[in-house]
Amino acid sequence: MLTLDVVDAFYGRSHALHGVSLGIPEGAITAILGRNGVGKTTLLKTLMGLMERVTGTIRLAGRDITRAPAYRRARAGIAYVPQGREIIPDFTIRENILMGAFARPGRRVIPDLVPELFPYLMQNLDRPGGVLSGGQQQQLAIARALAADPKVLLLDEPTEGIQPSIVEEIEAIIIRLNSEAKLTVVLVEQNVAFARRAGHHFAMMEKGRAVAAGAMAELTDALVHRHMAV
Amino acid sequence: MAEVVFIGLSLASVLLLVALGLAITYGAMGVINMAHGEMVMLGAYTTVLTRIYLHLDILAAIPLAFIATALIGYAIERVVVRRLYGRLLDTLLATWGVAILIQQAVRLELGASFFGLHIAGLGPGLQNVAVPPELTGALTLGSVQVNAFRAFIIGVTLLLTLVTWLLMYRTSIGIQVRAIMRNPRMAAACGIDVDRVNALTFAYGSGLAGVAGVMVSGFKTVFPDMGTPMVVDAFLVVVVGGVGSLLGSVFSAGLLGQLNGVTAFLANDIIARAVVFAFVIAVIMTRPRGLFSQKAR
Repeated sequence: MLTLDVVDAFYGRSHALHGVSLGIPEGAITAILGRNGVGKTTLLKTLMGLMERVTGTIRLAGRDITRAPAYRRARAGIAYVPQGREIIPDFTIRENILMGAFARPGRRVIPDLVPELFPYLMQNLDRPGGVLSGGQQQQLAIARALAADPKVLLLDEPTEGIQPSIVEEIEAIIIRLNSEAKLTVVLVEQNVAFARRAGHHFAMMEKGRAVAAGAMAELTDALVHRHMAV
Repeated sequence: MAEVVFIGLSLASVLLLVALGLAITYGAMGVINMAHGEMVMLGAYTTVLTRIYLHLDILAAIPLAFIATALIGYAIERVVVRRLYGRLLDTLLATWGVAILIQQAVRLELGASFFGLHIAGLGPGLQNVAVPPELTGALTLGSVQVNAFRAFIIGVTLLLTLVTWLLMYRTSIGIQVRAIMRNPRMAAACGIDVDRVNALTFAYGSGLAGVAGVMVSGFKTVFPDMGTPMVVDAFLVVVVGGVGSLLGSVFSAGLLGQLNGVTAFLANDIIARAVVFAFVIAVIMTRPRGLFSQKAR
């Protein structure tokens, strides 16, 4: 679905990704693992087109999108749920969800999946997004991504900083989005247990490089210990 | 006193038309557009040229000035500003350069004066615009006599402010502009073509300044340097109102316009300038993000 071929990415002068080559299989959940600051978020930004300078080749379903700006990638079917959610606090919940729909043609509507997955949001459409709790804002950010009717969903630590009661709910939703809505998911995660439960494939990162990748069954404890133990 | 308040209101109206464009472009794109005052000047010259070449009055000049300055604003965004997003100081210097170019273009009659040719209506001299007869004289509002042209200015400003508000809060393009103001990166990730929306916003803001120029031409002399003080005043409005806040700009334009008008009436114009600047400094010291900033949460 998504392939990276010797991709380097830079923040100004600092070199953040070093020759990353990686395939994200269609219809699966691929977990991106690694310690803090190894380039997991940078990898998602690179896929979304939010980095200043990128070299190498990125393909979406065979099409070269390396030079495509972020909005074209969004319209091509990549949706992004960033770390920290980045919803707009003074927009209503409805406006926040519909922001995602700028990526798809035609009238901007809330997709059918949203009321099914997030009944609370639907009951509060006219309240500002800023009044929601962290977990609800995470749901809102996912709903916004779904409004784009995407093929690929990029999730950056979706359960970070969220009360434990909602973590399970969000994990279940991510698994459903993949199994029922057939979304290809790229999941950046620190929680290895969840990554193992949900993911079909994994990629392990260290110092801006992809040091291991494969089917989830190949993610051995030794590998986790070597690259994730603090 | 009612008359003084009314004059203050008409000054505030012109200020608001100029500031609205800046509030949006500065707020949405982080661009300090020093050439914004030149859009006012070009709007005023559009009125002069419309009268000379088309024999039409101020009313006809309003849409023409809007279109002309919006197109020029669009071109400035495409050619210069587009390459400078995220570099605030560079936008200031570059657009200042653009401002000087535009002033000189008018002064040198688009270069024709090098060849000994003269284009009536341009050049370094002063131009005057006659207010059409239906807008001269006084209107009686209740017990107060008010200048008809000033009432007209206030009416046009109310209308354009309403149109701007509807555009920003009731249309798809407005939602995109507001989304870009809050979070340009996320807006792009949501499929918003930030470049295109920015260019249109810039053009619209320039168009509003052009209309302000038409208004100004009715009560001030038109000359190539007239835009420079306008852009300074408009920035004061934006800074006091709070960057990116339309409501803030409306209130702050009203406040500064009245402060200027009333002080000028009680003392004189120079004292009025000093009072306005003192007020702006006080606001910046106590509320650095402006009176109505949405970013000061």
